[in-house]
Amino acid sequence: MSPVLQGLLTIIIGVGGCVGYFYASNIILDKVIFPARGPQAGRNINRANKVRPWLFLFPAMFALGLYLVYPVVGSFYRSLFDRLGNNFIGLDNYINLFAEEAFRTAVFNNLLWVLVVPAMATFLGLLVAQLTDRLVWGNFAKSLIFMPMAISFVGASLIWKFVYSANPDIGIINSIRDSMGLEALDPLQVPFWNNFFLMFILVWIQTGFAMVILSAALRGIPEETIEAAIIDGANPFQVFFQIKVPQIMGTIVVVWTTITILVLKVFDIVYTMTGGNFDTDILPSYMMSFMFRDDGRATAVAFVIMLLVLPVMIWNIRQARKEMR
Amino acid sequence: MDNIAGQNQGGKIAVNITVIILVLLWLLPTIGLFVSSFRERDQISNSGWWQAPFSVDLNFRARVAADGARQEGTQYVLEGNLFDDPEIAEAFPEDNGSVSAFGTRAVAPDEFTPGTATELRSGGTLTVQADGSFRLESAEPIDRGPTIYLAAETPPRFTLLNYDTVLNANGMDRAFINTLTVTIPATIIPILIAAFAAYALAWMDFPGRGVLIAAVVGLLVVPLQLALVPLLKLHTDIGIGQSFLGIWLAHTGFGLPLAVYLLRNYMVGLPRDIIEGAKVDGATDFQIFTKIILPLSFPALASFAIFQFLWTWNDLLVAKVFLPSGAESQVMTVKIADDLLGSRGGDWGILATAAFVSIAVPLIVFFTMQRYLVRGLLAGSVK
Amino acid sequence: MKSRLYAGVAAIALVASGAAAQDLMFAPGEGAFSWDSYNAMADATDLSGETVTITGPWTGNEAEKVNAVFDYFEQATGATVNYSGSDSFEQDIVIATQAGSAPNLAVFPQPGLAADMAAQGLLTPLPEGTAEFVAENYAAGQSWVDLGTYADADGNDQLYGLFYRVDLKSLVWYSPDAFAEMGYDIPQSMEELKTLTQQIVDDGGTPWCIGLGSGAATGWPATDWVEDMMLRTQPPAVYDEWVSNERPFNDPAVIGAIDEFGWFARNDAYVDGGAEAVATTDFRDSPAGMFEIPPACYMHRQASFIPAFFPEGTEVGRDVDFFYFPAFEEADLGRPVLGAGTLFAITDPSDATNAMLEFLKLPIAHELWMAQGGFLTAHGGVNLETYASDSERAQGQILADATTFRFDASDLMPGEIGAGAFWTGMVDYVTGASAEDVTQTIQDRWDTLQ
Repeated sequence: MSPVLQGLLTIIIGVGGCVGYFYASNIILDKVIFPARGPQAGRNINRANKVRPWLFLFPAMFALGLYLVYPVVGSFYRSLFDRLGNNFIGLDNYINLFAEEAFRTAVFNNLLWVLVVPAMATFLGLLVAQLTDRLVWGNFAKSLIFMPMAISFVGASLIWKFVYSANPDIGIINSIRDSMGLEALDPLQVPFWNNFFLMFILVWIQTGFAMVILSAALRGIPEETIEAAIIDGANPFQVFFQIKVPQIMGTIVVVWTTITILVLKVFDIVYTMTGGNFDTDILPSYMMSFMFRDDGRATAVAFVIMLLVLPVMIWNIRQARKEMR
Repeated sequence: MDNIAGQNQGGKIAVNITVIILVLLWLLPTIGLFVSSFRERDQISNSGWWQAPFSVDLNFRARVAADGARQEGTQYVLEGNLFDDPEIAEAFPEDNGSVSAFGTRAVAPDEFTPGTATELRSGGTLTVQADGSFRLESAEPIDRGPTIYLAAETPPRFTLLNYDTVLNANGMDRAFINTLTVTIPATIIPILIAAFAAYALAWMDFPGRGVLIAAVVGLLVVPLQLALVPLLKLHTDIGIGQSFLGIWLAHTGFGLPLAVYLLRNYMVGLPRDIIEGAKVDGATDFQIFTKIILPLSFPALASFAIFQFLWTWNDLLVAKVFLPSGAESQVMTVKIADDLLGSRGGDWGILATAAFVSIAVPLIVFFTMQRYLVRGLLAGSVK
Repeated sequence: MKSRLYAGVAAIALVASGAAAQDLMFAPGEGAFSWDSYNAMADATDLSGETVTITGPWTGNEAEKVNAVFDYFEQATGATVNYSGSDSFEQDIVIATQAGSAPNLAVFPQPGLAADMAAQGLLTPLPEGTAEFVAENYAAGQSWVDLGTYADADGNDQLYGLFYRVDLKSLVWYSPDAFAEMGYDIPQSMEELKTLTQQIVDDGGTPWCIGLGSGAATGWPATDWVEDMMLRTQPPAVYDEWVSNERPFNDPAVIGAIDEFGWFARNDAYVDGGAEAVATTDFRDSPAGMFEIPPACYMHRQASFIPAFFPEGTEVGRDVDFFYFPAFEEADLGRPVLGAGTLFAITDPSDATNAMLEFLKLPIAHELWMAQGGFLTAHGGVNLETYASDSERAQGQILADATTFRFDASDLMPGEIGAGAFWTGMVDYVTGASAEDVTQTIQDRWDTLQ
């Protein structure tokens, strides 16, 4: 069988199986187990409606439980053991981590990333979304801003090598400095600020994401409200900040949260650009140096990452609660 | 409408200019990558991509063979043309090279202007003309040709070699199909599952709903790396092993929290009266979901589809862990990272090309999906 | 005469049966290869229908070369060899063994990882008699046995690794043209090398190109420098104590070696781009400076594999050549040589796997790659005529002339040190940290491992 056919067949089986589950399970529920016919029709409908949420939820819960909850619980357990996993050492892995300066640097840098990247990406995304909203070539502009999203992290790191390289023949920043008669400097070795140069790579990638979602939300704002505000004499800035932004606040939170979460997972940029040197390590890349070697420590780092993002999570959960009431 | 706002012409120009600047800023690095994909490794590490379209003054080394030496009276003479040297000729495909200076030592390749005569360390007098022809005269027999350096204005050079290497690499077609085989189900399955779950979490009433929502939000942050090894062990234990089924399940599991989170947030915002109206009319949840919610959620579904697609398309880590490493199941990212790049070690030209080849499909997906991203269907019904 | 005839018959038999086989790179029976033992093996072994799966770090060009060698095994035994190479072999082999899909044989670029896997019971000891064979037939045989011997899951020492292919690290690459034009001579001692370094600066040039960049592995080229300096400032016994951490990392001996490296790398005038550039220049791009006109630098210290990264069309011996990274005359430590190598280990035993190991013990398995270039071996039974070029023969000579041979220390240290703290420590060092602080940090890290 040719690989194309084989691929096609596997795709059909995979996707078809999934569609089939939802369709068939609902039919079985409605027609076979609790048929909405006969003397008990009313009761059956009620019963079916009690079961149905779980029918809808089952595949998601199953996959989440298996692919995320199980490893998390297993990993937490693992983080209480030494490097070979033979001896229970309690919280020693965590204590050792915090005793290490490299780890504290990584935590500090990670906090910077969590604060700066989502804020910048969301702000820039919103700005582009608003500016291109009524522009004739808006869609074209948006596509270009979106393009970095489609480049793999490794490709992105390469792109930025052409920007940051210390060699004025390769890096554009140093080429400009060179033409102005300034001495070449390696942006990735500038203490503290090198973190921001690395962050900007992720901002560059993620602005497209924020823009796409926020521009959809902006389009969703009913025209009448805006027109009313304009007739009342609001200037464009007032319209934007007092009418539009509050309306799409929910979406902004979602975008912000999503990018925050991404920030806590991305290790590729730091890993390929500096290898964590020059005090630019962040937790996910720091964790990589323990992967496959000392699983006890690696999992301990993962839990610290999860702790870092706890405030955002709690806030989101409360938000969700509020909506439900 | 903008006119009602009194937004003047100046404002419009300001907006246009701002967007142009932003777009250029965003595009500049990518252009660098694009230009670099047409250059060879040596060129990339020697001159900036912004210099690529221009002629540059380059220095060359010519090793002249002594075979053509002949005797003229008491003198021994060696004549020839420096542009005949195959390595130099390569840089001047149009055959129009012109020597701007020459030298006899690498430290000073432009020591002499064409036409001047200079003494060689090994004895003899060397003259090089602007057209590249040279003449070496010596009182001794010439048994070893001189090494001559020259500077010449060299035309820009672009090559399709990188694309040839990447596209025609052994098994690249197979890798492309494998990538699609991984990506398409790994995009559709989680969306489908997440959409049902999101609807249940947004609009169905059942005990434990709040806890479940909180759990999904909490699971968003689980670092992927954490789950890889235990899951691989699990897959092996239950007999899936390293296979396409395994990687679909893995991508589904890892993509679900974000999918459920995004879709639920979107669905909660859908107008309540439409759904309640349908319920009053006797529609079941399944019908409401397929007939009303799905069409209305299209923008959210489309945007998540794009992101999940991009993520699985560019993924390297999950593919490495959950697919066998043999050529028959390699995806493009693995093929490029482990095979192409490994053997060429840091060949930036190849990397740039690979990045561009792999960007093409996601961009097509984005362009086709783009029009679904607008919430137009809904605009009229929101109060 | 008899064996000649015998070989001839076998060769005919091979040709006759070769109709279905692949085209072999070198015609059987011809050239300077050691065909006799190969033919004997071909006659004695029949493994038709069996498969040997191998994974290793060789990709692209190198994978083609090793596959060409395996072709002869297929031809001799009728078995099929499936080799797949990966640039991230270290991760892949861990994953594959976890997933229960381990190949028959794995080619480890670092003994450290093989030792880890042996301790977890994931490797099978080599067949009886291999240790004796290596000890007798390899140059400095016992040291190769020791490097391949690790503790198993129960703590008993067993031989797990058979070394195949050696990298020579103590080499300095230079441009013969540039040296000739400037009238520089090849330095015969470290003192002379230092004088030459200063001489080049006085002449207005930059002597060295050094690049430590290597993505996540940034820093490793510096570890080679330090190891070479260790061997040139301290007796081999001190080196061994350092590797096993009997001598702490922050010992004055180690600090001294690091500062010897710093003498070259931390001097803005001695390195192309200045000391700051050392940390971020990619090691693959770093030799490029030697080929520029005018030369950006004159010398580059790197292992025997580096020609693969020279600009296209570079010819070793004409455009670039190498000399032995010399020892201090006053230290009187002979001619120490630093090297590394890849080893075959059994991850899933089978009869065909053992036959492959037997094949790898034959001189011809080494000669076939030597003839393709880019291969050095410690096997004493090979015919040196089969080396592809004079320069490789000369590298083989350096290996043979060594009074001391030591394996790359960072490959022998625990992964967190040798492929972690040591790397980042060296980056910190070249960017200004003191050797004392750096070694202290590395030792602290090592202490947490115990």
